[in-house]
Amino acid sequence: MADVFYPSLLLVLMMSSLDWLSTPGSAFLFDQDRTKSAPLEPHFTECVSRDLETFRCWWSPGSFHNLSSPGALRVFYLKKDPPLSEWKECPEYNHLNRECFFDANHTSVWLPYCVQLRSQNNITYFNEEDCFTVENIVRPDPPVSLNWTLLNVSPSGLSYDVMVSWEPPPSADVQAGWMRIEYEVQYRERNATNWEALEMQPHTQQTIYGLQIGKEYEVHIRCRMQAFTKFGEFSDSIFMQVTEIPSKESTVPLTLILVFGTVGILIVIMLIVISQQQRLMMILLPPVPAPKIKGIDSDLLKKGKLEELNFILNGGSIGGLQTFSSDFFQDEPWVEFIEVDEEDADSGEKEDDQASDTQKLLGPPQPISDHRTIRSSETVRHPNDDFSRAGCYDADLPDTKVPMDAPLPGHTGDKESSADFPERAPAFDRGQAPPVQTQTGTPQTWVNTDFYAQVSNVMPSGGVVLSPGQQLRSQESPSDSELEAQTKGKQRDESEDANGQRQKEPQFQLLVVDPEGSGYTTESNRWQISTPSNSANPGAGYQTIPPPPVETKPAASADANQLPYILPDSPQLVAPVADYTVVQELDTHHSLLLDPTPIQSPPPCPSQLPLKPQIPVEYITPDLLGNLLP
Amino acid sequence: MMLAVCSVWLLLVCLVLYSRLKVAAAAPTCTNGQAGCHVLSLANLFDRVIQHSARMHGISNDLHSEFELYFLPSKNQIGRVSRNCHTSTILTPNGKENAQRMAREELTEVILKLLVAWRDPLWHFHQSLAHNHEFSNFSSNKSLEMSDMVHELRKGVQKVIEKMKMLGIMGNSLGGLGTSESLLAPDSAEWRLMKDYDLLYCFRRDSSKIQNYLKILKCRIVPEHGC
Repeated sequence: MADVFYPSLLLVLMMSSLDWLSTPGSAFLFDQDRTKSAPLEPHFTECVSRDLETFRCWWSPGSFHNLSSPGALRVFYLKKDPPLSEWKECPEYNHLNRECFFDANHTSVWLPYCVQLRSQNNITYFNEEDCFTVENIVRPDPPVSLNWTLLNVSPSGLSYDVMVSWEPPPSADVQAGWMRIEYEVQYRERNATNWEALEMQPHTQQTIYGLQIGKEYEVHIRCRMQAFTKFGEFSDSIFMQVTEIPSKESTVPLTLILVFGTVGILIVIMLIVISQQQRLMMILLPPVPAPKIKGIDSDLLKKGKLEELNFILNGGSIGGLQTFSSDFFQDEPWVEFIEVDEEDADSGEKEDDQASDTQKLLGPPQPISDHRTIRSSETVRHPNDDFSRAGCYDADLPDTKVPMDAPLPGHTGDKESSADFPERAPAFDRGQAPPVQTQTGTPQTWVNTDFYAQVSNVMPSGGVVLSPGQQLRSQESPSDSELEAQTKGKQRDESEDANGQRQKEPQFQLLVVDPEGSGYTTESNRWQISTPSNSANPGAGYQTIPPPPVETKPAASADANQLPYILPDSPQLVAPVADYTVVQELDTHHSLLLDPTPIQSPPPCPSQLPLKPQIPVEYITPDLLGNLLP
Repeated sequence: MMLAVCSVWLLLVCLVLYSRLKVAAAAPTCTNGQAGCHVLSLANLFDRVIQHSARMHGISNDLHSEFELYFLPSKNQIGRVSRNCHTSTILTPNGKENAQRMAREELTEVILKLLVAWRDPLWHFHQSLAHNHEFSNFSSNKSLEMSDMVHELRKGVQKVIEKMKMLGIMGNSLGGLGTSESLLAPDSAEWRLMKDYDLLYCFRRDSSKIQNYLKILKCRIVPEHGC
């Protein structure tokens, strides 16, 4: 390997050296050879025209020093004007410079010229390359009268722009349009080596941008004929320098002002947004329209104004609601009104004017409504029909006692073990077709403390038991009506105590339930609703959950007192009637029990309720529910 | 009411049209020496034409140098005596004084003759370049541009002449301008014998002539604008 490598390397070196020998760089060798063999002939160095009207040619004798004396060499030219084609001698010699000058008379543009040198003894030194046309040898003179002016200084004070202007060369006849010249401006820093060249342009001024303050710059210009290639000489350089200008203080405050102004504007905007927040919120998030009832001022719907509302709804004036319809909400055509059915009201229940709307909805005990309710009751069938509590079931329940009043929660007189409504319904049906009785005519003045009522139960007769949290104003009336807080889906037996029992004192206080208040009550409280004083029905009223006597539940009372919605003026124990209650457990029949502890007097029928400890919780979690289930 | 509005509007339209007509009609009444009389002044026209000719000469120069490099002919072809451009028959002033002494009509005629003489040869030159794959697209495009420019320049010069005639600067001694074909020498087929390189050399020379003649003409006729 090595023995191949070294010879090849040597060969490469040899070839490269040969190459070097043959490069033009070795021309001087060649020239030397030439000088040795052929001396440098007299030749023309250059022919130049400055103004396209005259031109000059310079020659050199070469190495023929014997011909360097003036007059030893003569210049002849040939102007290739087609008819004449002869060599003429130079019109004007300048032997000092070895120059031949052709004046305007002897200069023809666009005609080829050839020049040659002849010695005394008619030796002609002619080179083919010495032929030219005058327009191609033009090198204009450099421009004159260069000067510069400061245009501007940059705001940062670090750079500036300069306008350089000059005059065209006087030899070039630009005025007559004979020569069109374009200029090239070059500049550089004082001590730099490279020139920066700007673009050629025919005007006699040029702007130089971006010069730095404090540095000295040198500028020179050269020119050439337009659309030709040969440049003239460079002009003399001019120097320009701009010293430091003291920075203007006005710029700094300007920026500060801008910054502060922006900040101030932002602060103002923020203040506006914050102050007008309410309005903005109104615009961005408009409030949900409140319910509007035709004919009723929405003001009445607010808390505490149920009396007026009742008055209106119950037809305070002839025509009832219709009269008011035009008064309100004239300008709100989009308002949809809740139409309140006034059929019942017109059926002669004038005494019910004061009644609550719920009562109206539920229908006062009327024959008409009786039929209705009865009919409805007939239709209601519960899947758990087969539930039988025959033992506890008393077909002879005093239906009459049962207030078929819709608003009244049905409390069976006694021995109601069935919590299922349908269970009772057939009983009732069987029992009688009792007219839905009002509370024995006792006027019940229902004060509607709130307009909306919750249906707590549906009576077998078809009436609807509401638990609107109304307060029974009339205390003297046997408060058959009971408000029952009702859990959802809870079927309660509406065993009602006999009205006579109500003669005593209202055992069930209808509480004014604070609309905002929580309708929830504890289980213990909830069963204050039952009639503790109803000795006849110790546990009646609610079959499934015999209400514990109050005395047995001291805590309950305490709780009752603690309830926010207990009426303070209730003489007796006020059973807080809550709208909602809590399901405590399920009985064997999968009924929801509110109060699982039938601690007090056992019902006539064996309670089939599993005695479970009272779960002092308000909510049943699934695992607790498992405990509840039998 | 509506009728009144319509009539007023119609009247306005009529007024506007009339005024415009008046303006248009006023144009030809420009007399000699009235500067800025028309939309495009004569000086403006001259400037455009001169710029055009300068550009044309630049392109011809580029092409010629390119050909020199490409063909690597002997250094200076000028020495070839045999070269003879086909436009040599056109008498052209060979110096500034000669050109200045020449009457403007003659000068203009010379310019036109030159332009007309070069229309066909350049077109054929371009064709030969385009078909010859030895040359680059760049050269071919330049030759096409050159040929187009000659055509455009001739039209421009004719416009200048019309303008000058309209302004009364030039008399009607320019005969046969409409039929510029007659300016062509009968032996116009001479150029077909020329080689491409010679053609380029000749055209370079002629474009320089045209440029200079136009410049002289401009500074003679409208000297106040940038001469």
